[in-house]
Amino acid sequence: MASTAATRAAAGASKVVKPLFSRDLDEAKRRVRELYRAWYREVPSTVAQFQLDIDVRMGRGKVREMFDKNKHVTDPRVIDMLVIKGKMELQETIHIWKQKTHIMRFFQESEEPRPKDFLSKFYSGHDP
Amino acid sequence: MAASLVRFVRGGLGRSYNLARTACLLQQQTRLQSSDTSPTIRPKDAVANSQLAAFGELVAEMMPKYVQQVEMTCFNELDVMIHPDGVIPVLTFLRDHTNAQFRNMIDLTAVDVPSRQNRFEIVYNLLSLRYNSRIRIKTYSDELSPVDSAVSVHMAANWYEREVWDMFGVFFANHPDLRRILTDYGFEGHPFRKDFPLSGYVEVRYDDELKRVVAEPVELSQEFRKFDLNTPWETFPAYREPKEVAPKLEAGDAAPEKK
Amino acid sequence: MAGLLKKTTGLVGLAVNHNPHERLRSLYSKILASLQTIPQHAAYRKYTEQLVTERFNHVQSEPDVDKLENKINCGQIEEVIFQAECELSLARKMSEWKPWEPLIEEPPTDQWKWPV
Repeated sequence: MASTAATRAAAGASKVVKPLFSRDLDEAKRRVRELYRAWYREVPSTVAQFQLDIDVRMGRGKVREMFDKNKHVTDPRVIDMLVIKGKMELQETIHIWKQKTHIMRFFQESEEPRPKDFLSKFYSGHDP
Repeated sequence: MAASLVRFVRGGLGRSYNLARTACLLQQQTRLQSSDTSPTIRPKDAVANSQLAAFGELVAEMMPKYVQQVEMTCFNELDVMIHPDGVIPVLTFLRDHTNAQFRNMIDLTAVDVPSRQNRFEIVYNLLSLRYNSRIRIKTYSDELSPVDSAVSVHMAANWYEREVWDMFGVFFANHPDLRRILTDYGFEGHPFRKDFPLSGYVEVRYDDELKRVVAEPVELSQEFRKFDLNTPWETFPAYREPKEVAPKLEAGDAAPEKK
Repeated sequence: MAGLLKKTTGLVGLAVNHNPHERLRSLYSKILASLQTIPQHAAYRKYTEQLVTERFNHVQSEPDVDKLENKINCGQIEEVIFQAECELSLARKMSEWKPWEPLIEEPPTDQWKWPV
């Protein structure tokens, strides 16, 4: 029993995790760049197909913003998982499974900034 | 044949039989009524129980590489716990072996237990029509470990795996068409995870100015609260700690080395 | 001869086989040959060899299809052929997977403990 515990501890110390796709960070970064390129090329046709009220430059800026939001991530497995989800989003956009509302959700037009100082908090009637 | 007939009667299906058999059925029913004092509990079936236990031991003996533990739960259910690498071999073995023939996948789902190192438990329920028996395969995964997709073995696993991906976020490697199935496009998060708040993250409403549906962060934010929902009664009387819960069968060859 | 009179198996996608003995013989000998690649001590080889040899002997000794079905007692002869085909593909995959090796990894402690 002690021997199995020891081996388990040893296995835990040098635990080799099963990769999702990428074996190291460079490969994961390559996948991210591929995804970014695909999104970048898709933006003009998305704007045209969905008849969005934005121009292509704004769309590309939003894509860049979404990628930048996760730039602190360094674990290749986490990056892979984000890339997988990004690919699924791209597929939904290309096939127009999404609707206009789902695309425009990225731009958060209707959201008002949360009140910061005392008086505006008082006016809005919340004290969060 | 006689044994299976008795089991039908016990299950309460006997009433639909034709009149010719009613006489003998009635006899059996009266006999059962006298012996069964608690009809809401499924009756014990010693024969099926021992057969399933023997089959579980057989599986563990034949595939010691993947089977970690075999367990009989109460009510004659056979659980086989396997390593996640063994999903395809074990399912294929159970499907194709002449003495198993579990050719139907009844259900595939997951259980989230956040306190464990591998928080997700993936459960496969299989049915063998030839031998009229069921088996449950369990394996484990965490948020970032892929599990091999069972679609190459059972076609029925396709949508089940999409559901598990959507609800729990377990990634299935080599799935032909892994995408969301239940949640809306643009939905973020996996709702069946235990750390997903009950109110969700966004709320949806129709905006009259923008002339479309908009999603906003939920106002009714849920603070972390510790609910004390424990009943004063014992929830799992069969699972008391000190006593050995179920007859646990160790996986084949591994047993003697460990002791 | 019964195979000639039989019109259907009554099962979708499973056609009547007019020469089951020959088919079964070739399948069973193929299974036994592919089991040779698996080591002697493997439980899978032991049990499958036992099962297949038993059925093989039935096929060799019993020329009548109906009696053969009764002896094997696993459904119609076409279903038995289907089972043999599955077993053959499984036996070939098994020598690739090598499931008779010791357990690859112990489960983490408390993985299978319920209730938590």
